[in-house]
Amino acid sequence: MNRKAGCALIVGGGISGMRAALDLAETGYGVTLVEQAPYLGGIVSRLDHQFPTNHCGMCRMLPLLDRESGSQSCLRKDLVHENIDIRLSTQVMTVAGDAGGYEVSLREQPAGVDRLKCVGCGACTQVCPVEVPDAFNSGLSMRKAIYPAAPYRVLNSYRIDFSACTRCGACAAACPTGAVVLREMERKQFRVLVVDDELIVRDSIREWLMEEGFDAEMAGSGQEALGRLGGSAFQLMLLDIKMPGMDGVEVLKKAKEIAPQINVVMMTAYATVETAIEAMKTGALEYLIKPFEIDVLMPMVEKRFAEFMAARDEKIRVGAIVLAGGAAFYNPAGGKNTLGYGVYPNILTNAEFERLISNAGPFSGRPVRSADGKPISRIAWIQCVGSRDLQAGADFCSGICCMISIKEAILAHEKLGANLATDIYYMDIRACGKNYHRYKEAAETSGNVNFIRGRAHTVVQDADSGDLKIRCVSVSGAETETAYDLVVLAAGQRPHPDMALLAEKYDLALNEWGFAETLPFSRIRSRKQGVFLAGSFAGLKDIRESVTEASAAALAASRSLHQAGGGIAPVPAKTSTGARNVSREPSRILVIICSCDGMLTPHLDAADIEHRLKKDPSVTGLLVFNRICAGPEMEGLIQEIKSRRPNRLLIAAGAACADKVRDAGKSAGIHPALIRVAEIRSPAFIIAEPQASNEPARIFQDRMRILIMGISELKYAEPESLPETAVVRRALVVGGGIAGMSAALAIADHGYPVDLIERSEKLGGNLNWIRQTLEGHAVGPFLEDIRQKTEKHPQIHVYSSADIVSTWGEAGRFYSAVAERDGAVVQLEHGAVILATGGGEAPTQLYGHGAHPAVMTQKELEQSLQSNAVDPEKLESVVMIQCVGSREAPRNYCSRICCQTAVKQALYLKSRNPAIQIYVLYRDMMTVGFSESYYTKARKAGILFIPYTLDNKPRVDTGRSRAAVTVFEPIIDQSLEIEADLIVLATGVAPDFPQQLAEIFETERDADGFFQEADVKWRPVDAMKPGLFGCGIMNAPQSIPDAVASAEAAAQRALGILSRQSLPAGRITARVRHSLCSRCRICIDACPYHARAWNAEMERIDVNAAACQGCGACAAICPNSAAVVDGLLMPQFLEMIDACF
Amino acid sequence: MKESTSPAASNPLSAISDKVNACIQCGTCSASCPNAFAMDFSPRHLWRLLQAGEVRAVLASRSFSLCSTCYSCTLRCPRGLPLTDIMSALKQVGARQHPMQDPSGVLFYRNFLESVRRHGRVREMEFMTLYFSAMKNPVLPFQFTSLGIRLLSRKKLPLELPSKGSRRLNALFCKVSELENTP
Repeated sequence: MNRKAGCALIVGGGISGMRAALDLAETGYGVTLVEQAPYLGGIVSRLDHQFPTNHCGMCRMLPLLDRESGSQSCLRKDLVHENIDIRLSTQVMTVAGDAGGYEVSLREQPAGVDRLKCVGCGACTQVCPVEVPDAFNSGLSMRKAIYPAAPYRVLNSYRIDFSACTRCGACAAACPTGAVVLREMERKQFRVLVVDDELIVRDSIREWLMEEGFDAEMAGSGQEALGRLGGSAFQLMLLDIKMPGMDGVEVLKKAKEIAPQINVVMMTAYATVETAIEAMKTGALEYLIKPFEIDVLMPMVEKRFAEFMAARDEKIRVGAIVLAGGAAFYNPAGGKNTLGYGVYPNILTNAEFERLISNAGPFSGRPVRSADGKPISRIAWIQCVGSRDLQAGADFCSGICCMISIKEAILAHEKLGANLATDIYYMDIRACGKNYHRYKEAAETSGNVNFIRGRAHTVVQDADSGDLKIRCVSVSGAETETAYDLVVLAAGQRPHPDMALLAEKYDLALNEWGFAETLPFSRIRSRKQGVFLAGSFAGLKDIRESVTEASAAALAASRSLHQAGGGIAPVPAKTSTGARNVSREPSRILVIICSCDGMLTPHLDAADIEHRLKKDPSVTGLLVFNRICAGPEMEGLIQEIKSRRPNRLLIAAGAACADKVRDAGKSAGIHPALIRVAEIRSPAFIIAEPQASNEPARIFQDRMRILIMGISELKYAEPESLPETAVVRRALVVGGGIAGMSAALAIADHGYPVDLIERSEKLGGNLNWIRQTLEGHAVGPFLEDIRQKTEKHPQIHVYSSADIVSTWGEAGRFYSAVAERDGAVVQLEHGAVILATGGGEAPTQLYGHGAHPAVMTQKELEQSLQSNAVDPEKLESVVMIQCVGSREAPRNYCSRICCQTAVKQALYLKSRNPAIQIYVLYRDMMTVGFSESYYTKARKAGILFIPYTLDNKPRVDTGRSRAAVTVFEPIIDQSLEIEADLIVLATGVAPDFPQQLAEIFETERDADGFFQEADVKWRPVDAMKPGLFGCGIMNAPQSIPDAVASAEAAAQRALGILSRQSLPAGRITARVRHSLCSRCRICIDACPYHARAWNAEMERIDVNAAACQGCGACAAICPNSAAVVDGLLMPQFLEMIDACF
Repeated sequence: MKESTSPAASNPLSAISDKVNACIQCGTCSASCPNAFAMDFSPRHLWRLLQAGEVRAVLASRSFSLCSTCYSCTLRCPRGLPLTDIMSALKQVGARQHPMQDPSGVLFYRNFLESVRRHGRVREMEFMTLYFSAMKNPVLPFQFTSLGIRLLSRKKLPLELPSKGSRRLNALFCKVSELENTP
């Protein structure tokens, strides 16, 4: 596809960075993705499973449209996209410039292993004598000093841990391909020439330099020095002035002629200081007065070294920057209360436990106690370690630990059997994300996870058994002491360890706890123009939030690039391949094997292989090379391809060689879609008989199978892809609340027209009645600004008092009918739909609402306060009841914002009249994230929070003049009767997304009536039907900044379609053989991507090639074999299966 | 129980209860307290009563008298509340002869200090005599007989008769009384 001129930099290759990079790449921008670690995926790469699915769904982030622009495999293995330049083990050194034009310098940490030469055989790891704790496994296992960066990656990513490496050289000797480059160490490249006539001076300086790791050489005279300079390159020369024969100043002049770039530092005695100053005019940098000590010399050398390194840094220009550097975990060992962590071996953190039970972890998924190998039968989780703890400097909730612990408990049951006992000690279970409450309930009822409300303060180890005892007091006051085999601490989050440095580099503001601070009403905007934040960098996110905000950050970056003109000057599309049309020719496959000096194919018998392969008439021949990537064989290869005129190539080679062969094939006119790489290095069939896997004959058999499978697949491959679908570059946004307006503005700012449909007369939705946020930001001016921008935007057409009547079509081309209040019906054409129909406060009749004037909802209280119908000065006592009709059937979900609203209103009432007694009756206070600090404020202000349970709800008595609430207070162990002037009910959020509307857009609602996203974690704003997106509170209950973020995420996803002239189809796409089709239409429902539709006019099934993902569900369900998948045809598939046996 | 909705001004403990407002009832203090087994209200229960303005119940409790000032709760409280200080403050209020207060705790502290005031250190025998006579309960000494015998056998209870002592600390005690503004 076309690549736009603008480029963005994404710093941090965790899931947020990957999401933002993919989003920008999909809209055609060039992206540089920089990651400090040698692998992508950040924290998530170390978690095997995620809640609430208990699977990994990372690959669901991959593009579904134009999916061949990148890799289509597991993202833990690798991410490849034609518009993304991935830089692993790289750091951003400096940032200069402003929005639209940042100049950034990047520095890569040397791996010590040439990635292109390494074939991943592991010989180096076997000989390496150094063992260090493996950080990837949280130190639970050991690794060598030369190691693969992450266990999942397929491309060879062996690297040397230079901090552990002893430079013994064993690996370099063992490496069969010479990929290990020990001398690549940076300091050794900085070469210093010491010139002095006194041997003692020369020697001691040289010794100092060598000790610090630099490479130093000596010269005893000016002549010798000049000789050495002519021989090889030096970065620095330390030059004595007073020398017999040629003096320093003269050497300097001549040296500058030989090597003009060299830095020269003069060494002088007091007597010749003036000469030294004179020498500075001739080009010396500095002078040192002899005698000098090491601490005078070294800082100067270090400074030159830093400059030398900086000069080698790569400099790139980018228009926008997205910071997705992630966060760190709290280390309980460093806290006031360690809970035994770091002292007793059987106490782990959440992150360590994930590795303990991981299939790729130290126990291969069958965990035992690492200290003594004892089977695990009882595990306890302690929540809020380093969170919600003022003594640990954390007046915030880390937001994700409750769900992590629940998930780990469920996984532990899966791995360790039904007899396992799992207890979670908690204060409030904050399962407040979409569907999380149900997940928690399922864990409790069917998952056998035991929840104990109470805070454990100490863990004591039994000296003999190693078991751990936890003492705790329950809400009822009962004291318990329970022994466990393992205790897991839910360690909270902390800012990125280098946050202070990063804040300075990018000019960020930090909040009270050291996380990057965002602007009001935004989750992603920093105070610096053109720099955006994503993921946990700005604090405390789960995957769903991270992914949403990463898309929103991508949108912001894209907008900033667009405004700088990035979208106007497209870089020409990649030139067409110039491949000849081979669709009418029979398959002629040339198989090319590169043996990597025998490493890849240790038992290679070329003649035998060729004989076997040639049994298939489509194979024209076999070529075996020794090391194509080295170069000399390349010419021969191209000649061979040209003379044999194959139309398909099958390559079995290492990554570097495969790339070379691919290039050679392309230059010989072979279509890139007809060049395949057979992955013969990974052992594919060793599971059945692992002990036999090392036998040469078996290895040979394995590799033959893989080659024959590759041939079976390749010979049926067709290069022609289906025609592309033209895109109507216009969007429809349904709903004019904050989400709808934000989405409309985001798309319109990219120059595409938007039709915004609002049912009421006025834009603004719920924001029309909200006065201010919990943080104290006034909503009115913010809303007015957005409304003005929306109404005045030349690209936005607002239809107010209008309804959607019908919609049909598919991604790229929809048609909708809109009915206006006056009866007129307007026809609209658009390429994408964003639903933002919003929602509102759920109605209620509980607790005497409607029966007594003192009983009102939170919304009614807000409105009454604004209209002065309620005067705080006249109130004596207010009771707020949370979870009214929420978190129990039929609305069995947490609305997330009601607890924060209650805290906001209570604090407001207290600020107006400190004498008011306020009681908040709650089940779990959901003041998640930084809003926890307002919960603390509310308690400090004397607001009384009383927990209640579902089986003992508060009772409201409205039968008398002054209403009263009776609630059981579990700690005092008595019922309290509270007379109240106001009883305020938090009824939660109900979505405004009727079934009828869902049907109009051919999408689904979830169990609670919210928008059903394609994947709750990984595709939070996409519908399963391509081209359709949902955001705001019709998607999930959320706050204003979250709604804005989800709207911008939806807009960015929609731009993935709108930024294209046409939607390309994938090569593997379903097709209908109309002559065989019986029109039973079961394939329409079977298609999970809504890619099939009944064409009433032609009376046949149509497939939207762009939406089809080639999954084959239709082909499997079709009774007539009328549904086929091009690229995976029946004979092709059967032959591949045959080849396996 | 009927919740009073009267404003805090009439609550003599309001200054103290303000300090526990931020308590989240996690129970760390109760689980940490070595003396909680003997208390009528656990520390957490006591804070909750303070928050609810239950002045009578708080002052009638002997929980705070039993605090041995080990500071475990203060060390461990996730809210960082000065819990031990609050216990001490309650001891002071209780000692100002609140009629509701169980007298044993107050008399115990008062007579302990009286002995210190006389001699600069506590004389166990004198302290016992003073405490038992102040409690005006003839049976009480017999309840402590076995403890007394054990202490005697370990030479922890020197046989000294009560005396006026040197009272060299008198000035100090007077100054403290003056500072505390008590008669």
